[in-house]
Amino acid sequence: MESTPASSATAGRVSGERGSPAAFWSRTRLPYLLLAPTVLVVFAFLIWPILSLLFFSTQSTPIGDKPTFVGTGNFGLLFAEAHFQGNLVASLEYLGGVLVLSVPLAYFAAVLISSRGGTAGIFRTLFLLPWVTAPVVSAILFRTMVDADGPVPTVLAAMTGKEWLFLVRSNLSILTVILHSAWRSFPLEMLLIAAGLATIPMELYESARVDGASEWTQFRYITFPLTRRQLFIAVLLITIFTLQDSESIFAITRGGPGYATETVGVRLFKEAFIYSNMGISSAIGVILILLCIVFLALYLRILGRGQAQ
Amino acid sequence: MKTRYSLSWVAIGIISLIVLGPFLWGLKTSLMAPLNIGLLSSGRIHLDNYRYILSRPELGRYILNSIKVAAATVAIVLPMAVAGGYALARYDFPGKKLSVLLIILPLVPAISVLVPMIIYLRRIGLFNTLAGVVLANIVFNTPFVVWMVRGFIAQIPREIEEAAEMDGCSPLGALARVIIPLSVPGLIASGIFVLIGTWNNYLYAFAFTTSPDLRVLPQGMLAFIGSWGTNYGGLNAAALVAMLPPMILFLIFQKWFIQGMLAGSSR
Repeated sequence: MESTPASSATAGRVSGERGSPAAFWSRTRLPYLLLAPTVLVVFAFLIWPILSLLFFSTQSTPIGDKPTFVGTGNFGLLFAEAHFQGNLVASLEYLGGVLVLSVPLAYFAAVLISSRGGTAGIFRTLFLLPWVTAPVVSAILFRTMVDADGPVPTVLAAMTGKEWLFLVRSNLSILTVILHSAWRSFPLEMLLIAAGLATIPMELYESARVDGASEWTQFRYITFPLTRRQLFIAVLLITIFTLQDSESIFAITRGGPGYATETVGVRLFKEAFIYSNMGISSAIGVILILLCIVFLALYLRILGRGQAQ
Repeated sequence: MKTRYSLSWVAIGIISLIVLGPFLWGLKTSLMAPLNIGLLSSGRIHLDNYRYILSRPELGRYILNSIKVAAATVAIVLPMAVAGGYALARYDFPGKKLSVLLIILPLVPAISVLVPMIIYLRRIGLFNTLAGVVLANIVFNTPFVVWMVRGFIAQIPREIEEAAEMDGCSPLGALARVIIPLSVPGLIASGIFVLIGTWNNYLYAFAFTTSPDLRVLPQGMLAFIGSWGTNYGGLNAAALVAMLPPMILFLIFQKWFIQGMLAGSSR
């Protein structure tokens, strides 16, 4: 437990009068009692499993048998495997595709819903719908659109004269899961960016316009720098959700064709819940957490560098 | 200025189309005869697909399981979040800084934590039970929702509570008689947040249950994708039925819901 002298001296109410000694005692204890269930759940079922995950990742056997210690064997096995290298590449392609498509769309949508009065609320609600749709539901909607007889291949075939087999070709399968995820991700990004836009004082734009600044200059020097923090949060959240996503890809392609859309998340999903391969899936779980930390560090560096300027 | 104005309407139209397209196409497909999903195919609207899925006995069971899991999760997470959120919003105490974990932990990939949890649930006999699924939903919702409720309670002016205590209310009495009634919108938003997340999730149920009888709705739909193949009329009808409850709740409570999300994630 962290405790600075200052905070222990002011233990109890943030403000307000200090009552009788008995009341003070209960007020010192009360916050701990109130937080006890939360702390218990977090430690027993989040922090402890994370620590166990590290342990299980060094074990070789599936549950039931006597576990054998294999050290970093599972990791060595994974990284030496072309299959897992493919999983990593698929994850990066998936993440890159989702960010490239969803972030500009989210910015655009955020500006649109922020700039108009009464009607903005309606469109904000409308644009948020993908975000409250279950991944498996949107997976069905997207499968319907891209499957052989669906509207997307039909239109494309009419335009190009070629066949478009979205769920059969590797590249088109990746494109399908990226489009689906970008569609699901942009609403949350839009919401966060719009919250940032709402904090920018209108006078900044007015004086910029008086100075003859172009739209682009206004965006470059006012809008973008002042929404940088919200953009950071949006990109970070979507990165982490996208890296760990297995539900929506599994529902659309099951990782196929072949391993084309089998990201690290989907591989973990299969190893853990279908093949019950605890050692390997724990190692993949550790790698997935590390991957998230790497991106967090990377974004923090970019954010820090931007603020230092 | 005028062209700019109409351009922005065009942009709004395009984004609306991107957002609504998949839903509208799903609706159309669900109302057409099977094998009639082509782009230009038309034909009379009929409800056979809905009749078909609603007559399947397993759909009712999946819905019931989903209701049980979602209701139990909300009923347990919300009181925990009120207690924890109140403590964090109103008290200073040694160790409070650790509460930053509540916004860091939701970033840990849930799927990684599920792997060791399977082993524990087997040990305590909760593997392959709905209780195990509820537990997972509680665990992954609690940190963020405590933080969300903290935000709502912090917005309530402290003076109201102090007045109540002046009149002889204990801190817990003030929580029950002042804080909770005043944070009802926030609590509804938090409850809906948990409800939608739980209703939509199939990962935890997939990880912790093996019996088809224990499937929750989205997990059942995943099985439909596997077994019905390209019966897109039936699949889309089921998808739209599954989508309805969270969509309706969102549309009714969206204002509070959005406030809660922003309060939770941007502070």
